[in-house]
Amino acid sequence: MPASFEQEITLTGDLHARPAGALAVAAGRFASVINVTVGGRTVDAKSVLSVMGLGATSGQDVTVSAAGPDAQEAVAALVAILGEATKVGG
Amino acid sequence: MTTASVGIVLVSHSAELAEGAANLAGQVSGGTVTIVAAGGTDDGDLGTSAAKVSRAIRQADQGAGVVVLPDLGSAVLTVRAVLEDYGSANGVLLADAPFVEGAVAATVIAAAGGDLKAVAAAAEEARHARKL
Repeated sequence: MPASFEQEITLTGDLHARPAGALAVAAGRFASVINVTVGGRTVDAKSVLSVMGLGATSGQDVTVSAAGPDAQEAVAALVAILGEATKVGG
Repeated sequence: MTTASVGIVLVSHSAELAEGAANLAGQVSGGTVTIVAAGGTDDGDLGTSAAKVSRAIRQADQGAGVVVLPDLGSAVLTVRAVLEDYGSANGVLLADAPFVEGAVAATVIAAAGGDLKAVAAAAEEARHARKL
């Protein structure tokens, strides 16, 4: 049974193309299965087009969940990226 | 990541479209992947150029292979002609994908360290992504 972790963060900016790209690039470096959930929709964090398709905006709560050998590190890394990247937009 | 990323070649009938898509994909993926635009004819008109495509493939190849995305059907003819001369198959994959979405998805997977097959698959899966 692989470890699974999840954490929620409130966006401080919209999840535009560049932050979505940063999220997906980082997610792709982990072995775990990683999902991002916003407003009841869950997508694969490694798919940049799916993450962009969420259309997540400032003030929305995003849940990052991961299951696998590096799940804890993955959740921590992606939450940090969401916190930083959505400050600048783009 | 110590190994080289898969390179991306964007073949468009329009030089501006190829450059713009390369710029967008580079910005979204963080700028670590070699993306080469091959748009327009040798005279700068709308169309595709075997010489430009050939140069672009060589330039994009960092040792991990190259995924080539054509914008419209007839660009495929140019790419195929180049690949026949290039020694084909070895390390170069032609992706059947939507141009902008495929470029962005492929480049992000390349930036994350994906191999040639994974990068080409990401481009091709882009046709299923919903925008709305």
